[in-house]
Amino acid sequence: MLYVNNLHKSYRVGMNNYEVLKGVTFSVSQGEFIAVMGPSGSGKSTLLNCISCYIPFDEGKITLGGQELSDLTEEKLARVRNEKLGFVFQDFMLLDGLTVRENILLPRIIKGRVGKEGESLADQLLKLFSIQHIQDKFPADISGGERQRTAIARALINSPLLILADEPTGNLDSKSSRTVINAFCEARDTLGATVFMVTHDSFSASFCDRVILLADGVVREVLERKSERAKFHDDLLNKIKEMSGDENVGNA
Amino acid sequence: MKMLEMHNICRKLRKYNWKNYILYMICSFMALLLITAYSAMMFSPTVLTVLPEGGDSRKQMIAVFVLSCFGCIVFTVYAASLFYRTKARETGLFIALGTPRRTLKKSLLTEVLLMGGCSSIAGTALGIPFAFCIWKIFQLFVKSSEMTLYFDLRCLFVSLIFLIVSSFLIFLLGLRFLKRANVMDIINEAHKSEPVRNVKSWYGYAGILLLLAGAVLGYGKSNFFIQVLHQYPPAWTNLLYAPIFIGLYMILLHTVVHGWGLKKKTYKGLIARSMMKFQGKQTVNNMLVITVLIAGGCFAIFYLPMIWISSSMESSSRTNSYIYHYRQDQELPTRQEIEELAGKHGLTIKDWSSAPFINLGTDGQEMIEEENGKFHYEYTSLLNEANFFSESNFEKLTGLSVDIPSGIYCAVTNKEEMHSSTLRSNITKLTNMVTEKELEVVFGDYIHYDDLSGIISYYVLDDQDYAQISQGLTHEWQETMIFFNPEGADSFSFADELFNRIVDSTDSGCEIPEYYDRVAKIAANKNQEIYWGDTEDMTGISFDQRDSSEFRLYWKYMPLFRSLDQQDFVNTFAVFLMMFLFIAIICMMAAMIIGYTRCITISINNRYVFEDLKRLGASPRFLLKEVKRQASKVFSVPAAVGLSIMYLLYGMIMFANDGRITSSEIYGLLGCLAMLAVFAAIIWLVYRFTLKKMFRVLNL
Repeated sequence: MLYVNNLHKSYRVGMNNYEVLKGVTFSVSQGEFIAVMGPSGSGKSTLLNCISCYIPFDEGKITLGGQELSDLTEEKLARVRNEKLGFVFQDFMLLDGLTVRENILLPRIIKGRVGKEGESLADQLLKLFSIQHIQDKFPADISGGERQRTAIARALINSPLLILADEPTGNLDSKSSRTVINAFCEARDTLGATVFMVTHDSFSASFCDRVILLADGVVREVLERKSERAKFHDDLLNKIKEMSGDENVGNA
Repeated sequence: MKMLEMHNICRKLRKYNWKNYILYMICSFMALLLITAYSAMMFSPTVLTVLPEGGDSRKQMIAVFVLSCFGCIVFTVYAASLFYRTKARETGLFIALGTPRRTLKKSLLTEVLLMGGCSSIAGTALGIPFAFCIWKIFQLFVKSSEMTLYFDLRCLFVSLIFLIVSSFLIFLLGLRFLKRANVMDIINEAHKSEPVRNVKSWYGYAGILLLLAGAVLGYGKSNFFIQVLHQYPPAWTNLLYAPIFIGLYMILLHTVVHGWGLKKKTYKGLIARSMMKFQGKQTVNNMLVITVLIAGGCFAIFYLPMIWISSSMESSSRTNSYIYHYRQDQELPTRQEIEELAGKHGLTIKDWSSAPFINLGTDGQEMIEEENGKFHYEYTSLLNEANFFSESNFEKLTGLSVDIPSGIYCAVTNKEEMHSSTLRSNITKLTNMVTEKELEVVFGDYIHYDDLSGIISYYVLDDQDYAQISQGLTHEWQETMIFFNPEGADSFSFADELFNRIVDSTDSGCEIPEYYDRVAKIAANKNQEIYWGDTEDMTGISFDQRDSSEFRLYWKYMPLFRSLDQQDFVNTFAVFLMMFLFIAIICMMAAMIIGYTRCITISINNRYVFEDLKRLGASPRFLLKEVKRQASKVFSVPAAVGLSIMYLLYGMIMFANDGRITSSEIYGLLGCLAMLAVFAAIIWLVYRFTLKKMFRVLNL
C-alpha cells in the first residue's frame, strides 16, 4: 500500500549540506501497524514528513495506494492529505478555538462534506476512543491523553489509507501513552486502519506488527513481531542496545 | 446543530484568537491616522501659504513626512508579518489536513486585507478629526488670523496611496508566507528565530565612521557643488546621506550582538543578550526605524526653542525698544503725533533719535544660471540695492564715533558679526539711481551696532563721498531711520497702534517684501527682461494681512518694536510652531508604537524561554531583570542614538552656517537640550508602560 524506494533528503544549513536520509527503502501493507525507531538525528521525523509531503525530498519514490506522490500538483496533494492520509502530531495540533467534536470533524469540513455520515462517524470514533463525554469541551479543558485521542479520531474521520503519527506519546505520561497506543490498536483492529508511527518509546513500538530501525539515514533492520508483545519488547530493547554499541547484549 | 462549514470554523477561530488580530488592526489604524493627520496638516492651504515653497521649513516638513511614511509602512508591514506568524500554526495545520493552498490563500489574504482595510479606513476617517483637535488645542493658546482652520481633502489621496502601497506589501508578504513548500516551516513559523550572524567586533566603530562620513558628505555636498563646481547639486547627491543609515544600522547591530562594554566575556545579561541576538534581524530593523523617527522628531521640535530663543535674544539685545524706517516720500506720523499717541497709552518717549540714509545701486558678480543646472558669474555694474548712512548721520543716530576715509565703505553688523555673511564686502562701485552718477569704493571694515544688524543690511560712507553720491537723489531713494525708547514700562497696545498707524500711512509703492530689489528690477528692465520679483515666484505681502507671519517677517519697512516682537512671537510663528510640533508628535508616536510592538513580540516569542527559566529555578527578580534588559535596549539605544545624533547634527548645522556658534545659538542649543529631556521622559514613560505589558504577557 505504501512503497518508499531509495529516498534521499538533505538539509542545507549555511554552506553545509547535511544528508539525513540516504536511500531509505521499505513498504507497508494494508492494515499494518508499523513503528520507526532510531536514535536522535537518525532521520525518523524527516522520513515521516517526506511521506506526508510536508517537506520536499531530493530523490527517490513514494507511492501510496498506487499513486506516486512526488508527481502530484499542489491541488492533488491537498486531496491526498485530506482523503488518503491522517496525521497525528506529537503536540496534538488541535485548534484551541474549536471543540473536540469540531476538531475531529475538521478534515471533513475541509473536504466540504460533513453530512450525516460524518456526524455518525464522529460519534463512532468518540465512542471508540472513549471521549464522547468531552466532545463539547475545548482542547485547553482536557488532558493530554484525551487530546491525543481526539487527534487520532481526527486522523481517522476521512477513513484514510494511512495514518502517520509523529511521536504521538512523546508528550504524554505512561498511562496516557497506553491509552493512545490502545487507540491505534483499536483503529487497526476495528477499522482496519494502517498506522505508521515514529517513536522513541520501545514500549509503544512493541505493540506494532513491525518496527523499522533507522540509523544515520539508512534502514538498519526491520523487526517483525512473531511472539508475545513482552518478548517483542525485549527483542527491541536488545536490538537498540546493539545498535548503540552496548557489548553486553545477550549476556543479560 | 449549526451547520459545520469552513467559513463557520474560520469565524469561530477568529473569535477565539481576536487578540492576535488586535495588534495588526491597531497598527494599521495608527499608521493611517498618523499619515492622514500629517498630510491633512501638510496639505492644508493655511500651512502651504505660510511655509514658503522651496523654503527650508517646507523641505524639512516634507523630509520628515517621507520619514514618517517610511516608519509607518515598516510598522504596518511588521505587524502584518506578526499576524501571519500567529496564524502560522493554524494555517500549517489546515494545509496538513488537506486544505488546498489556493483556498487558504484566498481566505487568509481576504482576511488580512479586509482587516487592514477596515482599520485603515477608520484611521483615515479619524485622521482629519485628530489634526482638527490638535489645531483647535493650539488655537486655544494662539490668536492668529493665519490659524484659520482649513483642510484640503485632496490630502486623502496620500492616505490612499499609503494604503495601496502597504496593502500591496502585506499581500506580497502573505504570498511568500503561503508559498513555502515546507509545511513544517509554516507550522513552526511562530518559533522561528532570526539570528544575526557574523557581526564582527569592528562593526560598531565602522558604523560611527560611516555615520560621520554620511553627515559630512551629505551636508558638505551643497557647498562643494555650488562653490567648486558652480552647479546646483543634482538629485542623486542625496544618496551621499546613505552612509548615515548604513552606519546607524551597523551601530545598532553591534549594540544588540556585542554591546559596548569593555568586558566581553561576562555572563551578566547573557540570557537577554542571546535572546536579542536570536531575534536580531527584526529587532535591529525596528530599532533603526525608531532611531530615525526619534531623530526626525528631534529635528522638528528643535525648531521651536531655536526660533524662540534667537528671536527673543535678538529683540532683547537691541538698545532701542522702537526702531523703524520709512521712505521719505511717505507721510508717516511725526514725532509730535507719536508722542501724543504714547501719552494716550500712558507712555513718555525718550532717547528719540533720527537720521537719514540713502538707497544706492551697487555693482557685483551676478549669478547666471545655465540650462544644465550649472551657473557662472558675470560682472554687472548694477546688481543690488543697498542702504548707506553718512558717517556723521550714523554717529548722530547711534552715538558711535566712526571715522571712514574717502573711497571706503563699512558694513554694520552686531557684536558677534552674526549677519556678516549677508553683508557684502566686494562692492567696488556705487550708483545714484536718479542721476546715474557713480562712485568707486573699497570695503573697509565692520562696524558693530546691534540695532542695525539683521536681514536688512546697512553700510556707512565717508561724509564727503555720501554728499557727492547722494546729490540729486529723489525722496523715493532716501529713507529716515527712527530710534526711541519708552520712559518706564513699555506698552504693547502703544506698539500695536503705532505699528498699525505706520502701515496705514504707507502707500502701496512700499507694499513690498524686503528682498524686492528696485536696482535689480531696473537692471532687468534695461536688459528687456522681466524682474523675477514681479513674477508669481515672488511671495507677495499685503497691508490687508498685516498680522500674517509673511508680512511681519518679510515687509521691507517692518518696524522692530520689542514689545510687539515679544507679545506676537507665538502668533507670528503660529503655523510654523504648530506644524513642527505636530511633526514631532507624529514621529514620536510612530516610534513609540514600533517600540511597543517590538517589545510585545519579544515577550510573545520568548514566552517559552521564560517558562523554561522558571523551571530552572530563576527567581522573579532575575526574570524581571532579563525582561528589562531586552526592553530597555529596544527603547534606550534608539533614544540615545537618535537624540544625540540629531543634537550633534543640529550643532554641526549651526556651526556650518557661518563657521561658528553664536551666543543665541548656544542658548538655542540649551533649549534643544531641554527638549531632549522632555523626549527622554516620554520615551521612559512609554518604556515603563511597555514593560508592565510585557510582564503581563510573560505572567511575571
